[in-house]
Amino acid sequence: MIRLDVSKCSGCRRCEVACAFFHEERVSRGMSRIKVVKIEDKGIDVAVVCQQCQERYCMKCPESAIAVGEMGQILVDLERCTGCGACEKQCPIGAIEMFDDTPFVCDLCGGDPQCVRECTLGAITFEPRVMEIVSLKDMRKKTRGLTPEAKRVHFALITSHDTRERWLDRRADPCATGMVDRF
Amino acid sequence: MRYGYGGSILRVDLTSGRIHREKTDPEYMVTVIGGRGFNSRRLSAELERSIDPLSPENLLLVGLGPLTGTLLTGSAFFTISGKSPLTGILGDSAAGGHFGPELKQAGYDQIIITGRSKGPGYLLIADDRVEIRDASNLWGKDIWETTSAIRSDLGDNAVQVLAIGPAGENLVKFATVACNNSRMCGRTGMGCLFGSKHLKAIAVRGTSPVKVADPATYGKLCKAIDQKIVAHPEFEKRKALGTTMLMTALNSLGILPTDHFQKGLCHYLDRVSGERLARDFKVKNKSCFNCNVHCSRYYVTSEAEGEGPEYETLCTYTSRLGNDDLEFALRINTFLNRMGMDSVSSGETLGWAMECLQRGLLTTEDLDGVDLRWGNQKAIEKMLHMIVYRQGIGDAFAEGTRSLAARFGRGTEAYAFHVKGLDLICGDPRGIKAYGLTYAIASRGGDHLRAEPFFELTERYDEAEKRFGTKEAANRLAEDGKAALVDYSERLALATDCLTMCKNIGLCMDILDFETSSRLLRAGTGLAFTPERVDEALENHIRADRLLNIEFGLDGSQDSLPRRFVDEPLEEGPTKDCVVNIKKMVKEYYHVKGWDETGNPR
Repeated sequence: MIRLDVSKCSGCRRCEVACAFFHEERVSRGMSRIKVVKIEDKGIDVAVVCQQCQERYCMKCPESAIAVGEMGQILVDLERCTGCGACEKQCPIGAIEMFDDTPFVCDLCGGDPQCVRECTLGAITFEPRVMEIVSLKDMRKKTRGLTPEAKRVHFALITSHDTRERWLDRRADPCATGMVDRF
Repeated sequence: MRYGYGGSILRVDLTSGRIHREKTDPEYMVTVIGGRGFNSRRLSAELERSIDPLSPENLLLVGLGPLTGTLLTGSAFFTISGKSPLTGILGDSAAGGHFGPELKQAGYDQIIITGRSKGPGYLLIADDRVEIRDASNLWGKDIWETTSAIRSDLGDNAVQVLAIGPAGENLVKFATVACNNSRMCGRTGMGCLFGSKHLKAIAVRGTSPVKVADPATYGKLCKAIDQKIVAHPEFEKRKALGTTMLMTALNSLGILPTDHFQKGLCHYLDRVSGERLARDFKVKNKSCFNCNVHCSRYYVTSEAEGEGPEYETLCTYTSRLGNDDLEFALRINTFLNRMGMDSVSSGETLGWAMECLQRGLLTTEDLDGVDLRWGNQKAIEKMLHMIVYRQGIGDAFAEGTRSLAARFGRGTEAYAFHVKGLDLICGDPRGIKAYGLTYAIASRGGDHLRAEPFFELTERYDEAEKRFGTKEAANRLAEDGKAALVDYSERLALATDCLTMCKNIGLCMDILDFETSSRLLRAGTGLAFTPERVDEALENHIRADRLLNIEFGLDGSQDSLPRRFVDEPLEEGPTKDCVVNIKKMVKEYYHVKGWDETGNPR
């Protein structure tokens, strides 16, 4: 699986660019299988990508077009796929999303994920033999019915919570207010 | 099939509400490339020269380059242009972040905004759908609040927002425009231009994939550039400190502006350096779109948090104003980013006042009782607030240092450090002569980004002789060879602004050259960008910018520096006893350009 270290992500979206260019020779957020969410006011950046969850919600595909590969990656059979978008609706974190009626989801680039290669901060790392250790059950309850982008924001807020707390712990005076309130 | 370019130009007239789209003409683009040059030529072609910059007739342009938002590292940049409210001449300012690449994915190369909206409005661009929307509920909000309010109104966190804060609304002449909260178009008052049009923001969401003509070649060129970046001796340092590394670097040369350029050495450097910032307050790196340097930083202090600051803000609000408290500078950075006000120009108004108080040319009564002594934090905060909201004497400060000093007279003009109305950046030209020449001749006034002739700091003497005919071009204290260096760097800086690419990478890390530029352009666009045509386009731009400024009323007499840098040597440190012979260098520069003795290219 591709693991995220939120504390290191700068939000450059180089992973997005590398992903789409590798697969499609284009730069496009819609065609990227990894998407960075920026919670600007909190300084948070999170690269959202398939977490190879225990539940495999996306496999509730009416056409049985989705399978799991050897490394735990999601494989979409585009011959069978009718572009109905059921997988997009099922995924609790917005890691699979339709673009031009086609589902886009991480396929680990056949074992050499380009996003990991291009990340010069170590914010995303690849562990080929680790899969299905993450449960998205709780997340699913919270994000049901949301757009993929809104689901990603939710996921980003939850995964960044501890990092953000650590930053705030550095503050000498937790009661201090922002500059604007001082006037 | 369109490669590299977005393919369309968007015209929006805020008075009539008319929205019109036209196709980008590839034949024409080969002659102007894109970005800043493209914007400037739009001004040349369509702007009535004599208008008041704040009138509805002024053009507000947002321009992208053919390589903006592509695989090229550092291709995040966009440029905003118009007749500057601060200087009255060519105005433009660029920023990175994520706005430019999003606008490219929406399919545009340039937005041309004219007129003035009746009430506050913002422009929404979602691919082909373009609307002018009511922004009454956003007016008064700061940049961070505006960005997040628009995202939540639209229910899409991936929307990229370019916004002004209260400073822009109140027509502070050096107001900024920001995307991603803190990536600033800082200089020449483009935020004021937004405010004058009652335009609070531009929000954009694009879904068209960006294609290049020859992906294999383009991919190879980009990979080679990436390897060069990562192998650069300063890579790790830039990643750790970003531009704040210049605090220590400039102090070691004795040119770190201290107490408003009275000194070039700061004795409390360790407390306000980039290293200190990284050690005590940085929590992680931040970055523009598709960058592998990640030179920006997120900081958290007991009083504030945010992205940055860059060197200019850090130096301005520490040594330049005599403040030794780093946390205070960070608080001010957050404040300026929220309010949307340029740190360099706001800082120069304060520095001017502080020095004039020190010399007895002004009294605190002149300043509504605000006691602007060196490093007086309360006074700095108070005055900044008065500037943003144009309260009391803050109203005069909001007009910029040139106008402020002219209002008071009494010899205070000698301490207003600007060229052509644009306040000088934080690099004392007495110890970096090519920068001095750049401040003097730059087409937007006193700053370095028009050339960024970092080469004079490299001590690469043999390379200097090869490139510029004299070893002295690589000696920061020499004046010989600097005209040739600035001529070269000016074209290369313009190339980065036209492609577009980040100058920190393209220029300061010596990554881009003309040959690489034209290869990238060819592979990216599929158009006939030969090195000769690129060079011709750049040279034409520099000439046309000059002519445009002459038509705005400039002449060669303003290609100069404030008296201090010409007459008063620094008293200590590695730049001791140096001044800038600016007349000589400017004359040589005209000669290199083939212009007459008044700097007229005709």
